[in-house]
Amino acid sequence: MAVAVRKRGFPRRNRPGAGREALVGYGFVLVPMAVFLLFFIYPMLYALYISRFDWGILGPAGNVGWKNYSHLWHDTLFRRSIKNTLEYTLWVVPAQMALGLLLAVVVNQRIRFRTFFRGAFYFPALASSAAITAIALYLLNVNGLFNKVLGLHKTWFFDTKTALPAITGLNAWTTAGTMMLFYLAALQAIPTDVYEAAAIDGAGPWRTFWKITFPLLKPGHFFVAVVSIIGAMKVFDQNYIISRGSGGPAYATYVVVLYIYNTAIKDIQLGLAAAAGVVLFVVIFLFTIIQWAFFGRQEAA
Amino acid sequence: MAFEPPAPPLAAVEELASGGPVAAGTTVAAGIPGRARSERVQRLIAYTAMFAIAVLFFVPFLWSLSTSLKPLPETAHFSLLPHTWTIAGYREALTQYNFGRYMANSAIVSAAVTFTSVFLASLGGYAFARLRFPGRNILFFIVLGTLMIPDQLRLVPLYRMLTIFPLTHWNLIDTYQGYWAIRMVSAGALFLMRQYFLTIPRDLEEAAKLDGAGYFKTFWRVMLPLAGPALAAVAILEFQGTWNDFFWANLILQSPPHWTIQVGVAQFSFTYGTLWNDLMAASMIALAPVVLVYLFFQRYFVAGVASAGVKG
Repeated sequence: MAVAVRKRGFPRRNRPGAGREALVGYGFVLVPMAVFLLFFIYPMLYALYISRFDWGILGPAGNVGWKNYSHLWHDTLFRRSIKNTLEYTLWVVPAQMALGLLLAVVVNQRIRFRTFFRGAFYFPALASSAAITAIALYLLNVNGLFNKVLGLHKTWFFDTKTALPAITGLNAWTTAGTMMLFYLAALQAIPTDVYEAAAIDGAGPWRTFWKITFPLLKPGHFFVAVVSIIGAMKVFDQNYIISRGSGGPAYATYVVVLYIYNTAIKDIQLGLAAAAGVVLFVVIFLFTIIQWAFFGRQEAA
Repeated sequence: MAFEPPAPPLAAVEELASGGPVAAGTTVAAGIPGRARSERVQRLIAYTAMFAIAVLFFVPFLWSLSTSLKPLPETAHFSLLPHTWTIAGYREALTQYNFGRYMANSAIVSAAVTFTSVFLASLGGYAFARLRFPGRNILFFIVLGTLMIPDQLRLVPLYRMLTIFPLTHWNLIDTYQGYWAIRMVSAGALFLMRQYFLTIPRDLEEAAKLDGAGYFKTFWRVMLPLAGPALAAVAILEFQGTWNDFFWANLILQSPPHWTIQVGVAQFSFTYGTLWNDLMAASMIALAPVVLVYLFFQRYFVAGVASAGVKG
């Protein structure tokens, strides 16, 4: 699995100063490589190692093999977190895609104030998760703007029925701007002459969109879907802040990363938490492989 | 099987960010006779819809901004503008509730991370783009491999490592150093720099070499000044990422004197959840730096954010 690095420039053989160049090269990459090995590669292996131990507050208490994994399989809380994460993913991915596509198509028009609209649509994506969650807590509180406008009296984030859907809506709104950027790049890859042909054939904008733009965006849909799925499985900040780390009400917003966090930090069961991390990693890894295998080569274009 | 992480078409995104030519794929077809009227109607509908969406996207922020300028009793009222304008929310947040301190902490770690990331990523990116050394491809493969390791997997091992650091047994939990160390440089930043250096023609470097400049001097005096846009994109990407970060800050910077502003906002909402004017003031302070950076450097920002897709 060699990474393609283009070789150009000087001929390779008998190059004067090759030894010195190599030394300088090692010197330049020394610190970055140390960081990557120490804080990325080693932790990945260390996570696998920890996941095979009964590892509590006093450190490793014995190699338990795959027992942490089988424990996870039977753990109702972990199962609940998987269910919540899947449910969240199932709703948030289509919502993000639809919103992102809508915004991209709008901004891609031949219109005035393009920069303003793009900025406005992208604005929520700029905001930090903590600040945006605080704002959401305010707007969706019982006496908040959202309820007033709709004439309701719901406690969105604190009702088992609406808590996860409310977080889904919140995150669809904040990430739509990012998805818009990816869709914009995909829209620009569609050749203009297709549209000219459609216009000559008398197709209206609605028909043109559904018959031409939408099908031709297939690679774009796929890319955005994978990015969105990977992001959805990592959801944590909003759930943590809204429920104050509990994943409540009644575990309605308890997601996988929250399980990892609480198992490691609150319960201090590092082995179990590491095993959950490995499970999440394997799933995310599969999607990342799909993403890279399908889109890595397009970068040259 | 050779693969590299998907990078967005930076040229397209940058053109877009700089308000370049209208993209291909617009659905407005001009020049068809008899269509002018219906097109005008369509356009009117389109503008109305767009303003409606833009308002929907902005209203939460405007409402929160307005609340941050209201006295507490007024936050229960349903009015867009404050009756009594006051900066009491900001004053209380910054002094009484220590957000001045949290802001300073955020500034410290963001500056440290941004500075080292830009320097180390350009140094490493240059070596991978230009210098030849045995094992370069394997090392670069490792760099790309780190992009595949999600933070959620690193949570447990890094927490353990920072509690008792290997060999030295330092406890780096609740220290700026611990937070800074794990974010010192990112593979995404290094990858972005390498890609940019690859696009710079070799002539200038060779001229510098003929003049007797060493490798570091060539890098520092010739290549870095040419890499301005990429440096800006990396700096902005890292600044935004660190300033906005909650996941690692919440894990590592645990005690109130070390909280960043994002942790401070979350903790304030835990404890004083209904002091809405103060909470919104704190949130506005937490948003402001990134929004300002966006307003002034939008062009680089969009390029950087688009390349953040690399991070997966």
